[in-house]
Amino acid sequence: MPRSRLWDLLTYAVLVILSAVCILPILWTLLTSLKYEADIVTREMIYWPTRITFDHYVTLWNQSNYPVLVVNSLVVTTVTVAICLVTGTVASYAFARFRFPGRMPLMMGYLVVRMFPAVMMIIPLFVVMRQVGLLDSRVGLAIAYTSFLLPLFVWMMKGFFDAAPKELESAARIDGSTRLGAMVRIVMPIARNGVLATCIFVAIAAWNEFLFALMLTTSQGSRTWPVGLQLMVGEFQLPWGMLAAGGIISILPVIVLFALIQRAMVAGIAAGAVKG
Amino acid sequence: MATLELQGIRKSFGALEVLSSVDLELEDGGFLVLLGPSGCGKSTLLSIIAGLEEASAGDILVGGRRVNEVFPKDRNIAMVFQSYALYPTMDVARNIGFGLEMRKVPGPERVEKVRAAADLLQIGHLLDRKPAQLSGGQRQRVAMGRAIVRDPDLFLFDEPLSNLDAKLRVQMRTEIKRLHDRLGTTVVYVTHDQVEAMTLGTKVAVMKEGVIQQLADPQTIYDRPANMFVAGFIGSPAMNFLDGTVETEGGPALVLTGDGQRVALDRAPAGQGARVIAGIRPEHFTLGEGSPVRLTGRIEVLEPTGPDTMVVLSVAGREITARLPPRIGLAPGAMIDLGVDRSAITFFNPETGTAL
Amino acid sequence: MIGELSETRYWMYLLLLPSLLLITAVVLYPTIYGIQMSFREMRLNRPDLGTGFVGLKHYQRMLNDPIFWLSLRNTAVWVTFAIILEFLIGLIAALALHRNLPGSRIFAVMILLPFFLPNVVAGHMWSLMLDPRLGVINDLLLKAGLIDSYRAWFADPATAMAAAILVEAWKSFPFFTLLILAGLKGIPTDLYKAASIDGAGPVAQLRLITLPMIKTIIAAAVILRVIGLVNSPDLLLVLTSGGPGRSTMVLSLFAFQTAYRDFNFGYASALSVVMFILLMIFAWIYIRLSRINQE
Ligand SMILES: Nc1ncnc2c1ncn2[C@@H]1O[C@H](COP(=O)(O)OP(=O)(O)OP(=O)(O)O)[C@@H](O)[C@H]1O
Ligand SMILES: [Mg+2]
Repeated sequence: MPRSRLWDLLTYAVLVILSAVCILPILWTLLTSLKYEADIVTREMIYWPTRITFDHYVTLWNQSNYPVLVVNSLVVTTVTVAICLVTGTVASYAFARFRFPGRMPLMMGYLVVRMFPAVMMIIPLFVVMRQVGLLDSRVGLAIAYTSFLLPLFVWMMKGFFDAAPKELESAARIDGSTRLGAMVRIVMPIARNGVLATCIFVAIAAWNEFLFALMLTTSQGSRTWPVGLQLMVGEFQLPWGMLAAGGIISILPVIVLFALIQRAMVAGIAAGAVKG
Repeated sequence: MATLELQGIRKSFGALEVLSSVDLELEDGGFLVLLGPSGCGKSTLLSIIAGLEEASAGDILVGGRRVNEVFPKDRNIAMVFQSYALYPTMDVARNIGFGLEMRKVPGPERVEKVRAAADLLQIGHLLDRKPAQLSGGQRQRVAMGRAIVRDPDLFLFDEPLSNLDAKLRVQMRTEIKRLHDRLGTTVVYVTHDQVEAMTLGTKVAVMKEGVIQQLADPQTIYDRPANMFVAGFIGSPAMNFLDGTVETEGGPALVLTGDGQRVALDRAPAGQGARVIAGIRPEHFTLGEGSPVRLTGRIEVLEPTGPDTMVVLSVAGREITARLPPRIGLAPGAMIDLGVDRSAITFFNPETGTAL
Repeated sequence: MIGELSETRYWMYLLLLPSLLLITAVVLYPTIYGIQMSFREMRLNRPDLGTGFVGLKHYQRMLNDPIFWLSLRNTAVWVTFAIILEFLIGLIAALALHRNLPGSRIFAVMILLPFFLPNVVAGHMWSLMLDPRLGVINDLLLKAGLIDSYRAWFADPATAMAAAILVEAWKSFPFFTLLILAGLKGIPTDLYKAASIDGAGPVAQLRLITLPMIKTIIAAAVILRVIGLVNSPDLLLVLTSGGPGRSTMVLSLFAFQTAYRDFNFGYASALSVVMFILLMIFAWIYIRLSRINQE
């Protein structure tokens, strides 16, 4: 079948080119982070360095406040995921399992909230957070993140709960379990991968977030890495090598998590977005 | 084990009334089959008995006790779902024993009961498999095991056999019957398979659009359907209906509306000139001279099934089906003269559809 | 206890309560607060101006603010071209991945990855590659003979917007790939078999089966992406900060900088309210139109 062979070839060509376009910038950054500064700033571009160094990583880690930034980001991410997990799981369960007055408007409400411009939320949040003393705090930032991540979490999670048949809950209740028991013992174990994928998606989003963090944190104590990195570029004219090293450190966990759970996550995002 | 009584059960989903005033009574150890077309509210009624749905009005009594406000977990009812609803993350043993686990039955006793139930259903060798590793028939047995292990007051079955292939369905049907004979538990069984209804039930309730049309033992439902819906729903091929007018002069007879054919009867079902519908089951036609009640029609199609031949004829502009012996040497297009077992004719009021 | 509570008919509302409280606190209340802030004077750097009610002052100022009109125009350019690019690349990638040739799984991971990268890092990666002195892209283009000398892509008003749009397209086209892929999975393969028996070639199949079947999902993806593009200024903030000479200033960035740099919260709020209203109007018209198309 020469014609389908031809299409296969074309498909591979497209895939290879697109993958290259997607991956090469990341590889170039990685390469830059491993080059000596002298090999970066050159007259003649050096594509493949003859020597490599981890100096940029070491300097960034030891002589800047990058570790603090990363810890702050970890705390904010963890708290965000925890809040979404606790409040979002039960909400999406309610939307997936029950038909009740107000269900559609509420679900639509959770969708519309996603349309609110970040700026529109950030300004009042700044004022409100300052009033309640949560400005420039990691927990405060995490709470602010739930404004756009919780609705996302609920829609995505609902897709996973929808996939578990309703009869299972009925069967468990007849077997002597309460609705709560049925949810915990029967439905949650089935949706476990979905919960994991949704949490990782929210975690990545919180880890990457820049705008809220820039506005709502003002000091070392709560600043997250994207803000810190950006400020370092502005204030200290951060050398390319260190900037690249910072970028690589920060995206490493994202790449690993994404590669690990890519399929479930893709399914969840699609389900959450499509039904909305 | 217990009696079941429903009094004036209603159920609406918003503006949609799904059940309107359902009353029924089932004796201890009885086997009630709920029969009706898709969407008539059978599953909804089961859910209400189980407590999974709240009735909009009416009372549910199990063993004489009103259970409206009792949570499903405390009703001591077991249910088998059409989709089986096996817990996919648990193995077969834990699936069967889950009800006992929830009721805090101690471990060793639980194991023993699970084993007994599994042996009864011949699935003892499957206990440590996951539901995904079972065949359809095996899953069905596990679902049954989960129901019987608890020794409940009441069994609810929601079309438990409809996902099985034809052969397995017949086999499981027999097995359910044997199980009921052995355990003696009261059963409510939903199906839209009328053979299941006839073979299993001690009582059959035929439902349509949320109303019970007739509640009686299977033979009565078959022989004396309360209305045209029940008559048409039970029996395969379905009962034949012929329009006609009653005549009393010159011996009781029915004059068919389409072609004026005069069918002699032994008694008049209504007064002179009254319009009626006569219902005749396919097997009540006979070939030959034996019967005084005769009907003439043209053969349209012959459908041999092996033991019988279904003959579709056109009589008075209506198609009717007669079940006749095989190999009778008939051909489409020919006129045929059939006898009718007149004691088996049911007459209906054409306006209301109720039996006369 | 909670278990028993879960058997009552109000259980679902109880499940919804925590998230509703949270959403009320972090979305509803701030939104209302923000809308009323747009009618007030509120400058954090000049408390002397107070927080008095100034009516439509900010909105009137906006009408006469050339930067506002410029940002509006830039936003339109930014969104339109980014959407077109992202959709086209996303569609091609999805169609290629959907053929499920051996190795597709790995390609999928690589192709979808940019969408999950932080804007800050994505921005700096491209700044590095497009750098006027050290940029690898300049070097490659020069060697290929496409340019005569290194260019300062982000410092030249003629190329800054285009360069930024390319970076944005690189980062977000996988969103379309993701959704279109999901839509493609939902098309029964029998349809294609039937079509090829009827003699439809690959292009005809794409036009007659694939695109009509995934129309709704494309419509949904477009609207979601438009919202994202209008609302988030992160990438532009990192790449150009709106420069050079405001040639890449979009509305969201203008509003953010009005708040973050000038601390003029009143005007910034008014800007974001207008942005939100424009977005809503767009979404409404768009949904209307795409519904009509379906019939
Ligand atoms: N939760 C619900 N909300 C609204 N309508 C419902 C709900 N559950 C059932 N219905 C409607 O009630 C009617 C009866 O449904 P039910 O499931 O009881 O039918 P059934 O007799 O079991 O049908 P089948 O034989 O197909 O299983 C149907 O018209 C159905 O659409
Ligand atoms: Mg049903």
